[in-house]
Amino acid sequence: MEIKKVAILGSGRLGRGIAENAATKGYEVTLFTQGAGSQNAPHRIEQSLNRKVAKWALTETQKRVILNRISYTADLKELANADLVIEATVDHLYTKQELLRTADRLCKPNVIFILTSAMLPVYEIARSLSRSQLLVGARFIPPVVDVDVVEFSYSQDTDPEAVETVKKFIASLGKTAVHVHESPGLVNPRALVTLINEAAYLLDEGVASADAVEAIIKHSWGMSQGPFEMADRMGIDIILDWMEQLQERYGDHYKPAPVIRRLVRQGKLGVKTQQGFFHYNEAGQRIDISGLGQEEK
Amino acid sequence: MKILVINCGSSSLKYKLFDMDKDSVIAEGRVERIGENDGIITHQAVDREKVNKTKPIPEHSVAISECLSLLTDPEVGAIESLNDIKGIGHRVLHGGEYFKQSTLVDDTALDQMEELRDLGPLHMPANILGIRSCMKLMPNTPQVAVFDTAFHSTMPKHAYLYAVPYELYQRYRIRRYGFHGTSHNYIALRVAQLMNRDVKELKIISCHLGNGASLAAIDGGRSVDTSMGFTPLEGLMMGTRSGDIDPSALEYVMDKEDVPMANIINMLNKHSGLYGIAGAGDMRDIVQGVEDQKPMHMLAFDMYEYRIRKYIGAYIAAMNGVDAIAFTAGIGENTPSLRAKICDNLSYFGIAIDHQVNQQRGEFELSTPESKVKVYVIPTDEEIMIAKDTLKLITENNNKSKQ
Repeated sequence: MEIKKVAILGSGRLGRGIAENAATKGYEVTLFTQGAGSQNAPHRIEQSLNRKVAKWALTETQKRVILNRISYTADLKELANADLVIEATVDHLYTKQELLRTADRLCKPNVIFILTSAMLPVYEIARSLSRSQLLVGARFIPPVVDVDVVEFSYSQDTDPEAVETVKKFIASLGKTAVHVHESPGLVNPRALVTLINEAAYLLDEGVASADAVEAIIKHSWGMSQGPFEMADRMGIDIILDWMEQLQERYGDHYKPAPVIRRLVRQGKLGVKTQQGFFHYNEAGQRIDISGLGQEEK
Repeated sequence: MKILVINCGSSSLKYKLFDMDKDSVIAEGRVERIGENDGIITHQAVDREKVNKTKPIPEHSVAISECLSLLTDPEVGAIESLNDIKGIGHRVLHGGEYFKQSTLVDDTALDQMEELRDLGPLHMPANILGIRSCMKLMPNTPQVAVFDTAFHSTMPKHAYLYAVPYELYQRYRIRRYGFHGTSHNYIALRVAQLMNRDVKELKIISCHLGNGASLAAIDGGRSVDTSMGFTPLEGLMMGTRSGDIDPSALEYVMDKEDVPMANIINMLNKHSGLYGIAGAGDMRDIVQGVEDQKPMHMLAFDMYEYRIRKYIGAYIAAMNGVDAIAFTAGIGENTPSLRAKICDNLSYFGIAIDHQVNQQRGEFELSTPESKVKVYVIPTDEEIMIAKDTLKLITENNNKSKQ
């Protein structure tokens, strides 16, 4: 089946990023907005496109065309029109199972589901669906529009044709699908939390300030953000949640550094609360107040 | 003999059907919004009712079958059967170093065009799709590719090379290619006709000023230099393109604004030129702004004019003289104030125009009898050039197979 209409479940950073990316590439996108903060999704997507216009990646006209391709709804019945469903909700087994079972009932029978979970393998979710062989894993990495690689996995029961279709879809978004065997944490999330956690231990042990750790790691590997800014943008609560899940699966190798727990306890969750390892303004830009480690000394 | 000319863009397709025995267009049309559910088709055959319709056009091959069925339609068409079409000429953006002239399309030619895809990422895929779809729908009809770059393949090496490490030319064919070649070629031949002279003895500067704009220095009928380069970005200031700029400024901006190269190239192609200075990319708006004394519109107009004049001066030097200057395409044909300002500031070369005549529309000479250099406005006709090349190649091919 030709894919024209893409439904995205979840309007968090990941869902919005995929929506913007798919609409930019010409797909008609329906973003399903449920839960707290989701009313903001249209505004956040427009803001993101405005930044691109201001930085010359898009023209005003292109922006308007892209915005017109995205519609927002909280009514799951509209899933009946979708040619492809992308699930981008929080990484909790029961939430996802529940939502996808509902989608399973409402969608046309041959529609493929994409699971973007970092932590939950395809087979665990597939079990509860009637279209279990049409579920394919594709971990988009935020910021979705800028990262051109997707971790892509499937179970041994997945229909090979569905795998090919998803691969083509990913390519049509201007990204390369790299296959990984399904396992909790895949490649990017495991490597990412390990880097963030090690940076957090360096801070806890007083080896260097947050600014210093950030600068050394960022510049020595030519990254656009260092580990702390990445954590702040991901949400430190999400990082902690992932680490706890990974610790349970793989052991103390993933034991969260105390500063991560402390920040979550204090409600300093990163960009979304304007404070995490660093400080941010309302537009999410970093502001120049020294980070952790320095103010504490 | 009937020849069909197809110009396939990324989301649109234009076509013209020529009767070559009479050198006339017998039907033409366009399909817009290819890939959308509300494609727009317009079609008009001589002495027949005009067709306007909307229907889903999912891809280029559908657009081409639409065009073919309209051409053979008993009510609104122009021919009885597709067999009446003896050849199809396709406009192709980039011929690289493979294609120095138009070519009959075969598998080798298609492979070579595929290799050139990256040199024109917006146009080449659509151009190739157009050819492939026609080959599928009309497998026994010869297809000819006519390249925008081909006319400039006569440029000497000292004109087409950039002064960068020579390995870059050897490894990746980094060089000036130039575009609008079919148009510049038409203009040169038409100027010679209007002057009643052999093009071989003329030095001509052709100014193709459309949404994209380029100048060509044509000595003896051969392009010896042109303002567009490796891509259409170089040279003149255009509607939304910057033209020439110092690349070091770009690195500086990338650093200050923290943006990647892709954004910078997009900025130079889509956010610059007239639009970048005055906020309007259409010359008609700029001219209106100049009349209303808007300072940024006046500045944009002056910059646009100055860059053209500078290139004309350079090309007079490149050819050590000039016999005729011709203006063509949307802006070149329809902006008398621009032509006046350019020509009035070239009086050193003995160029003089009649300001009354300059207000005309269509094809005309605007230089005075005393002017040392002839100045013309000539509406360009790329399609007839493509049709003629197509006819020539299929006739040669038929003769060859007869021998």
